[in-house]
Amino acid sequence: MFDLAIIGAGPAGMSAALTAADHGLTVVVIDEQQRAGGQIFRQPPETFAGSVLHPTAGYGWATELIRRFEADPRLTTEFGWSAIGVLHDDAEPDGLCVAINHPEHGTRMIGARRLLIATGAYDLPVAFPGWTLPGVMTAGGVQTLVKAQKIAPVGDVVLAGAHPLLLLVADLLIRDGVPVREVAFAQSIPTPVDMLRALGAVPGHLRMLTETGAILARLVRKRVRVSSRTIVTAARGTEHVSRIELARVDRRWKVTGAPREVAASHLVLGYGFSASTELARQIGCELVFDSPRGGWVVAHDERLQTSVPGVFVAGEPTGVAGADQSRAEGTLAGLGIAASLGRAVPAAAFAEAERGIHASTRFSAVVQSIFEPVRGALGDLATRETTVCRCELVTRGELDDFLESSPFVSNVNAVKLSCRTGMGPCQGRYCENSVGAILASAREQTIGLGGRFSAHLPIKPVPVGDLRDLDAVTEQPASDGSDTGRSAS
Amino acid sequence: MTTDGSWRHTAPERGDAVTISVDGEPVRACTGETVAAAMLAAGAAFERDRSGAPRAPLCNMGTCFECAATVDGRLLTRTCLIPAREGMVIKTPGRL
Amino acid sequence: MTERYDVVVVGGGLLGCLTAWMAARDGAHVLLVDKDQVNQHASGQNAGSLHFQLEYRMVEAGEEAARVAAEAMPLHLDAAGMWARMEDEIGEPLGVRQTGGLMVAENSGQVGMLEFKAELERSWGLDVRTLDRAELDDVAPYLSRDIVAANLSALEGKADARIAAPAVGRAAIAAGATVRARSRLVGAHRVPTGWEVTLRETDRAGGERARTVRTEAVVLAAGVWTTELGRVFGAELPTVPLALTMTVTSKIPKFIPHLVQHAGARLSLKQSLDNTVLIGGGWPARLMRDANGVPAFDRKHQLIPQSIAGNARAAVNTVPALERVPAVRSWVGATTVAPDQLPLVGAVRGAPGVFVATGGSAFTLGPSFARVLTDLIAGRSPDIDLAPYDPARFAEGSVS
Repeated sequence: MFDLAIIGAGPAGMSAALTAADHGLTVVVIDEQQRAGGQIFRQPPETFAGSVLHPTAGYGWATELIRRFEADPRLTTEFGWSAIGVLHDDAEPDGLCVAINHPEHGTRMIGARRLLIATGAYDLPVAFPGWTLPGVMTAGGVQTLVKAQKIAPVGDVVLAGAHPLLLLVADLLIRDGVPVREVAFAQSIPTPVDMLRALGAVPGHLRMLTETGAILARLVRKRVRVSSRTIVTAARGTEHVSRIELARVDRRWKVTGAPREVAASHLVLGYGFSASTELARQIGCELVFDSPRGGWVVAHDERLQTSVPGVFVAGEPTGVAGADQSRAEGTLAGLGIAASLGRAVPAAAFAEAERGIHASTRFSAVVQSIFEPVRGALGDLATRETTVCRCELVTRGELDDFLESSPFVSNVNAVKLSCRTGMGPCQGRYCENSVGAILASAREQTIGLGGRFSAHLPIKPVPVGDLRDLDAVTEQPASDGSDTGRSAS
Repeated sequence: MTTDGSWRHTAPERGDAVTISVDGEPVRACTGETVAAAMLAAGAAFERDRSGAPRAPLCNMGTCFECAATVDGRLLTRTCLIPAREGMVIKTPGRL
Repeated sequence: MTERYDVVVVGGGLLGCLTAWMAARDGAHVLLVDKDQVNQHASGQNAGSLHFQLEYRMVEAGEEAARVAAEAMPLHLDAAGMWARMEDEIGEPLGVRQTGGLMVAENSGQVGMLEFKAELERSWGLDVRTLDRAELDDVAPYLSRDIVAANLSALEGKADARIAAPAVGRAAIAAGATVRARSRLVGAHRVPTGWEVTLRETDRAGGERARTVRTEAVVLAAGVWTTELGRVFGAELPTVPLALTMTVTSKIPKFIPHLVQHAGARLSLKQSLDNTVLIGGGWPARLMRDANGVPAFDRKHQLIPQSIAGNARAAVNTVPALERVPAVRSWVGATTVAPDQLPLVGAVRGAPGVFVATGGSAFTLGPSFARVLTDLIAGRSPDIDLAPYDPARFAEGSVS
């Protein structure tokens, strides 16, 4: 059995792995991507000559962290493998069984005494007319295609949402010669004072705004329109986006006027982030709803242990607060896990790790409040005809009719069961926010009281045939900790 | 390097050329490139939804399943996560 | 002011919704309460089988146990007829399809079991026919070549557990019933006209308040919570909780028209009207318990790796095409059986005006349970002999 299994090789997972290994723990790190870095530091494929990671300004440490992580012979890594669930096996009462799956190699079971959930975040989905059209993509999606796959959109691009990541993506696109027509923010553009306070704590991209001035100057030079109090109300087109409707909104993001139309082939959406908490949900960890910090986030104690003994959490699933904080939490989790396994961890080490977190959280609350999505207004962007659940093709109208005819329903899982919202392959990741907001509005209750979707194994679908290997013998670390080998426990 | 798709390559040094098949049509790709990126750059269509409406990748990080296709017989494979390999067969029969 | 009802139904599953609907249709003033949401527990978590043949769990313990289990057959036959009429009466789709159920066998031992079972079932009036391999080629080409025979019951099939209870809940409201979610029964005491019950309710702001309600009759339709609620009324209603595993696949073109069960393995599967395949059959999950070993039904029960694997193996062995179909969710549902595998249905001894039904196939048998409960509430004598299902049959000194 490994001492520690870490799900996610982003800033939190990498720093936790190195910290835990420094304290003598055997560590396995699992990530769906092919290389370390997480979404924020997604690296180009090794086969792309000359294509190295260029971390966003302010993240010089990322290159070094990735280098140390990749070069560390103590760590076992499983890239290209999805963690599909964590199970308790009576045969291994002191540990957990992590089920991992690969599209070509099937299912394996990895035993671990402790688990760290470092699963990051994904772009907050917002349903509005036309959001299922090809050409509509999230800011994170476009960013990773441009930076790690080295491809760029052809044709005019509009970026819309509420998160400063849009500025960064607009800048990336301009550098690749992509015609950016407009960047539209739902809120007022942050004032210079806000920006200054925000330095160092923009969710997902902590120090990005140090470059904001330069980016804005470049956008102006390229005649890119930067609008505030503007929201995207529709994407139009038949086979692909061709027109985008933008409308003025008030301070609470309510549409106040008739939309104007902009011709564009691509719409990039950036409303902020949702914490990836499916694995925590599947395991049974307690979650709390905290809108500014990314919606449903995982509850934890001061050493980042969740409500499930032995299961820890670090990074965005504790509350979306950026790569600096993720890295700091990873270090603290690594120490906490080492201590929980009886390793000697000096109080000074904890104190230093906690200082690291405090340094990054100092700004988080301010920034999170500036960029908190107005969830009710976003829910209202979906018209009756709008597809809310992209997988199951459930419209807003169907949800409204169901809620009207079924007054006894006040929880999102009851909506899910009756309407199939969240029952498709994405398992609700892309409709939970809409369903939660629509339910809260219909029942005049808080989003938190409406609850969250349950998550179940497999948290990413796998063939029924691959479930047959869930009772396979769990894998153990090799004696030198550098490889895995199958052996009976 | 421009293609007839809605995306184009920006870095010319992309690894060895490979050919994959998307719904019977050959698509040029290179080692390391994801199948989704190769399909986008080639202008290949992704799987349509139950109503017949077109879909395309939304998240490019393995969570939205909009890029999912049948890859070498494996249903619901996220093409944004898997590197293209010579001879890979991609099918997008349309979702139910 | 204390609200007054003729009937308070506790539990918003299929049975509770059906009872509320039937009692309201009968003219009663009905309140249905659920501590959580309508259809949130076993009724919405089970796989929606309409199975009227004896199940594997009833025959695996031997012929004598099977004979006892067969005593529930009158309820099954009644339910089969009621399901066939239900969508018309409710006025909404419930996903009912009685297109036949197969219990398949892989070897001569299992074929022998099928033959014994069919004879027993026919003696109770269930029409069951054994199909040989040649007939299966024609009727069920999706089955593995390893399947050598199957019993076919034409009455069997499925209903959609996702939508059935809420649809009946809406029908209950249309018939005049009141339905309240987030309303937990926490106390009860006798009053001259029946019972005064205390409900703890959660309001829109998440706050809690107590509500007191007077009623002539109380129906416990609470599944695994039956024993706990019985004690509120001073009654011992023994039930055995079971946490079971189910798996659902993504949508695939229709190819399984039947309910499929196995004579020698824990397996039931069917393709829903949504085109997903629901796989279950009684594989155990880990029932969560508190520090004293008491089942903690409000906690999330845990999947057991061997059960998911075993269930998947049984499914693929029986229907090989499932091997490549993506599984989307495996989950745990908690259900309950009585110690003798027969349901508990009837008046609760020592608690006048309190009625109960639970145990075993409460989804499949829900319509029949609800019908006899509605008769009992109204003082009518049910047309099914309830003696074998007497809730007091386990009490000390009772005659079985």
